[in-house]
Amino acid sequence: MSKGVNAPAEKKTSIFSKPGSQKIIVLLVVVVLFVFFSVLSPNFRKYTTVLSIMDYSYYIALMAIGVTFPLITGGVDLSIGTGLICYSLAGGYLIVHCGWPTWAGMLVAVLFGVLIGTLNGVLVSVMNLPPFLATLCTCMITRGLGSICSKGFGISWPTSGAEGSWFRNVFKITIGDTKYPLGFLWVLLLVAIMAFVLNHTKIGRYTIAIGSNKEATILSGINVKFYHIMAYVISGFFAGLASIAYSAVFSTVQPGTGAGFELEAIGGAIIGGVSASGGAGSIGGSLLGVFVICLLKTGLPYIGLQANWQQIITGMVLIGAVMVDILKKKKTATV
Amino acid sequence: MKKKVLAVVMSAAMIATLLVGCGGKSEETTTTPAADDTASTDAADDTASTDAADDTATDAAGGNYKFEIIVKSYQSSYWQAAVTGVNQAAAELGVTVSCTGPNAESDIADQVNMLNSAINNAPDGIGLAACDQDACLDALQTAMNNGIPVVCFDSGIPKAPAGSVYSTIATDNYGAGATAADNLYAALKDVIANATAPVRVGEVNQEATSESITSRGLGFIDKFIELATADGKTVAVIGNEYYVNNCKDAGDEASADIIIEVAVPAQTTVELCATEASVILNKADTIGMFGSNQVAAEGILTANGNLGVLGSDAAAGDILAAGFDAGSVIKGAIKDGTMFGAVTQSPLAMGIKTVETLTAIANGETVSDIPTDGYWYDSTNMEDASIAPNLYD
Repeated sequence: MSKGVNAPAEKKTSIFSKPGSQKIIVLLVVVVLFVFFSVLSPNFRKYTTVLSIMDYSYYIALMAIGVTFPLITGGVDLSIGTGLICYSLAGGYLIVHCGWPTWAGMLVAVLFGVLIGTLNGVLVSVMNLPPFLATLCTCMITRGLGSICSKGFGISWPTSGAEGSWFRNVFKITIGDTKYPLGFLWVLLLVAIMAFVLNHTKIGRYTIAIGSNKEATILSGINVKFYHIMAYVISGFFAGLASIAYSAVFSTVQPGTGAGFELEAIGGAIIGGVSASGGAGSIGGSLLGVFVICLLKTGLPYIGLQANWQQIITGMVLIGAVMVDILKKKKTATV
Repeated sequence: MKKKVLAVVMSAAMIATLLVGCGGKSEETTTTPAADDTASTDAADDTASTDAADDTATDAAGGNYKFEIIVKSYQSSYWQAAVTGVNQAAAELGVTVSCTGPNAESDIADQVNMLNSAINNAPDGIGLAACDQDACLDALQTAMNNGIPVVCFDSGIPKAPAGSVYSTIATDNYGAGATAADNLYAALKDVIANATAPVRVGEVNQEATSESITSRGLGFIDKFIELATADGKTVAVIGNEYYVNNCKDAGDEASADIIIEVAVPAQTTVELCATEASVILNKADTIGMFGSNQVAAEGILTANGNLGVLGSDAAAGDILAAGFDAGSVIKGAIKDGTMFGAVTQSPLAMGIKTVETLTAIANGETVSDIPTDGYWYDSTNMEDASIAPNLYD
């Protein structure tokens, strides 16, 4: 940040306005954090720690991929955190208590996510509710629905080794004596697909257009309502996928939890360069941002920092990321 | 207008899918009672009412009383077991109960509202597991003014207006923590005696604020110190300030033979408990772990999923882990030897005793406080008749 301020005018713009520049900065931050924790804690630099970071990152990463779309439209989706738990409880209930096959439960979880995403989209785009408010409402709705779906009780998806637990191997596979974080491959694949969708398809381009200038987009004859809804549908779909990732990594899903998950995904996306006011962002950046958050969450306890300090530091990193965004805007405005 | 119709239709579709999805086959699995259903579950026939229905059962036959039961939350299967106990006793005694509870144990205001509505329903008695020790005081006064007896279960309310709470039925949490220390220490005794360098025992507590969790954590620490000191070892307690400051003797880390490291995550989530647990499990000198509730114990197991350091053979270098409460995950881990053992409370008995006590009060009998025990269970005694009914899924 300070580098940019002191540099001559042309260089300033080139550092900040080059596409993908923030991604490189965030990638550097990820590397620096990893090295930092590894140097300070010998226990951190173990393969199992990497495995754990991967495990705990999937659901946040998947949520972040999805929520990048509403964020780019200038909106937000606060329902993904409690939604994730709700979808997982609904799918898990069907598997555990109704005897449905695992794939069917997973499908229900994803469809449920799409449904809530559509509801969000309609509330925001058709009924013109502010995104913050609309998704806050669905956040509460999904929190309650989750408890209703599971009759108020915690649900444990089939534990590893049990019948129907194959979905756990989708995210972490054991070959010989070594466990491999297979889920990371799927996350990368989805990042690639959604980056393509964002940059090379109508849905993606119009999402960016809505975020940069909604009026102009409407005036150019684009069906803004439809594409605006789609941004939330994508977010809901990925919250559904995230619910599967969460159920696969953790043992028991408890109703009433999940509030706060969305902030880690949104925080990750913002760190990764999604503009806090919409109109710009990248999927790869969001993924990198999520790893900043996950590294902090995992690494800070390793260097012996007490819980409350962990939250303070994570908050400060977020402030830094938003500052970069604001500085970036200023630069482009002055040139 | 059209838009509104669309939204309404969508919401309706959403709820319909839910009901269709969950409704289908659920009748045959009604062993888990519905959240706010009245007690008429057919599940309550024979199971663990052994130590229950003693004398009150006969008295209540024609009572037809109506009780309101408010649990702390429906967040864990612990409360499932309590509600099962409540419904079982209600069916047996022929009384009507209505169970409610907030979404999360932190939804204190919601619970106070529920308590107030319960009072407005003018039941013959209220069973309350209070989320907060102070928030319910006004409501308790109202209940007393209206002549509605209250029985507290799981958690007591020490400052309750005199005469409002007729009986408190709760686990001795400090004692339950000590039970875990007793059993873990016995299993680690040889390792500790033979150790040439300091050894470490970890403890994961999901928070440092509630009475039940802190009592368990401190009960474990204090008992462990007592046992180790009796064997001539010195102990130091490090980590979270609350536990370090409130245990009997925090000792000196530099000279101690045994270090008890207490970790408390930033939020009460499994993944943060798991991260904290990984930190301790990764240390080469760690020999034992204790997780003081279901979330913390599952956090330790989640961490172990990648580390693979837990086991049941301390001499061979396995780290022994003790948990708390039950649930299918913890039970499975104990059965297959990943987790050494755990302390379970008796939520089922607590639920049964709550309804029995309420019935006794309605019948005009005098009642007193009932402390319930924490029971140690491991792979050897899980199936015992005295233990199994309390090991809810």
